[in-house]
Order: sequence, then C-alpha cells, then structure tokens
Amino acid sequence: MNSGSDSESTKLTATTSGFVLAAAVAVLFNTGLAWAKDVSPRLNDFMKSLGGHHWTTHGLADLAVFLGLGFIFAKTRVAEKIDPNRLIGALVGAAVIAGLGLALWYVFV
Amino acid sequence: MNISNSDILLLAHASFGTMGCMAALWVFVEALNARPSNAVRLQRAALLTAVCMAAAWICGGYWYVRFYPAEKLIILKGPWPFAHNLFMETKEHLFFITGILAFLLPIATRERLYSDGPGRKLVLSVAGLIVITGLAVEGAGAAINHGVKVSLLHNESKGASR
Repeated sequence: MNSGSDSESTKLTATTSGFVLAAAVAVLFNTGLAWAKDVSPRLNDFMKSLGGHHWTTHGLADLAVFLGLGFIFAKTRVAEKIDPNRLIGALVGAAVIAGLGLALWYVFV
Repeated sequence: MNISNSDILLLAHASFGTMGCMAALWVFVEALNARPSNAVRLQRAALLTAVCMAAAWICGGYWYVRFYPAEKLIILKGPWPFAHNLFMETKEHLFFITGILAFLLPIATRERLYSDGPGRKLVLSVAGLIVITGLAVEGAGAAINHGVKVSLLHNESKGASR
C-alpha cells in the first residue's frame, strides 16, 4: 500500500543518500589507510602518537570520515542528485572491493 | 575458577559481534516483509545492530590494544603465524567496514521501506553486508584463537619430547 507519491518511493532522502555516499567513501578510505600504514612505518608511528595505538587512531579517522562527510553530503544535498540504485551499487561495490582489498593485501604483500 | 578481565572482554567482544550479526539478519528478514506495521520493529532491530556492533568495537578494541600483544608473540612463535599476519591483520581492519555499515543501518531504516523502492533495496544490501562481513570477522577470530592454541600445544609437545 503506497500512500505517497511516485517520486517519494523512487528516491532516498537527502540524509540517507548523504550517509550512503559517505559510507562508500569511508570503507574505501579504511582500506587505503590500512595499505598506507603497512607500507609506511612513519605513518604508523604518527598514528600511534596521536591515539596511543595506530588501530585506535585508524578507527577514529574512519568514523570522522563517515560522520563528517555524511553531514556535509546531507546538508549540501549532493548525494541526493545521484540515482539511488547507482548509489546503492556504489556502496555494495565499495564494500566488496574494500573487503577483498584487505584480505588479498595481507595474503600477497 | 579463574576468569580474567581479558577473558571477559574477549568473550563479550565475540558475543556482541554475534548478536550484532543476528540483529542485522533480523533487519534483513523484516525488510523482506516490510509493511507499515513492522516499521518500528525494523528500526529498533537496526538500532540494536548498531549498539551491539559499537559494544563489540569497544570491548574488542580495548582487548586488542591492552591484551593482544602477548598473544601475538605466542602466535608468531608457533606453526600458524598466518593467524596473525593474515587473519588478525584483515580482521582488525575489516571490522571497521562492518561497524560503519552498522551505524548506517538505523539511518537507512528511516526510509519508507514498504513501498518497494530504493530504501528497501538499501536496507537489504546493508544488512546483508553486515551479516557477511560480520561472520567473516567472527571466523577470523576463531582462526586467531586456534593460532594461539596450536602454538601453545606445539611448544608443550616440544618440551615434553626433550
């Protein structure tokens, strides 16, 4: 039973689409940062000096990217202009690439 | 009986992670059958997913920083060094993806899911990814635990054969 208009049922709200795009960026950022820490002991040491442990800083950085970009994308409505199906596809694709990117990195590098 | 803080934290971490995966599966099933009457229950299940994953993050994170270094040394001296080099290295970073998706889920479930639009597709995708990555992280945890066990058994059997 759909009591709303067609446009309401085929779109995501500005907040949701903003945080979906932010999550896609954050999961890729997470894997990129893991790779960067692995090849750069200086970056690893720097992150350790910031949060007491590189993993703590890494998690806080991921949360900052997700929440920070989420609020920015929601406020500017930039993600709302993207087709919702493409946005969902981008999130799923980013999660798969980021997850496999981590596992394959630690298998081969 | 001697149960240390390390044991409690580690078991709480695994338990919260499992409950988070189960709550995400609950969201998935509710979203498959989304209708106005289960919208509130679906949102509560999504919130439960996020709370459980946050608790797993805090318990596991504290344990990893405070207690894991000693276990890492045991693993690396044993026959399963990949329990750390592959499984822990992947798990400690893959968990962040599960956590971010778990925090996204309560936002996504505010969409009108019963109209069969992109909101429902989004919730099914996010909940499904949480279950898959969460179970992968749980499995990696079991492999790490086994890495410690085989190392201790290996060293004990070497000591006994001398």
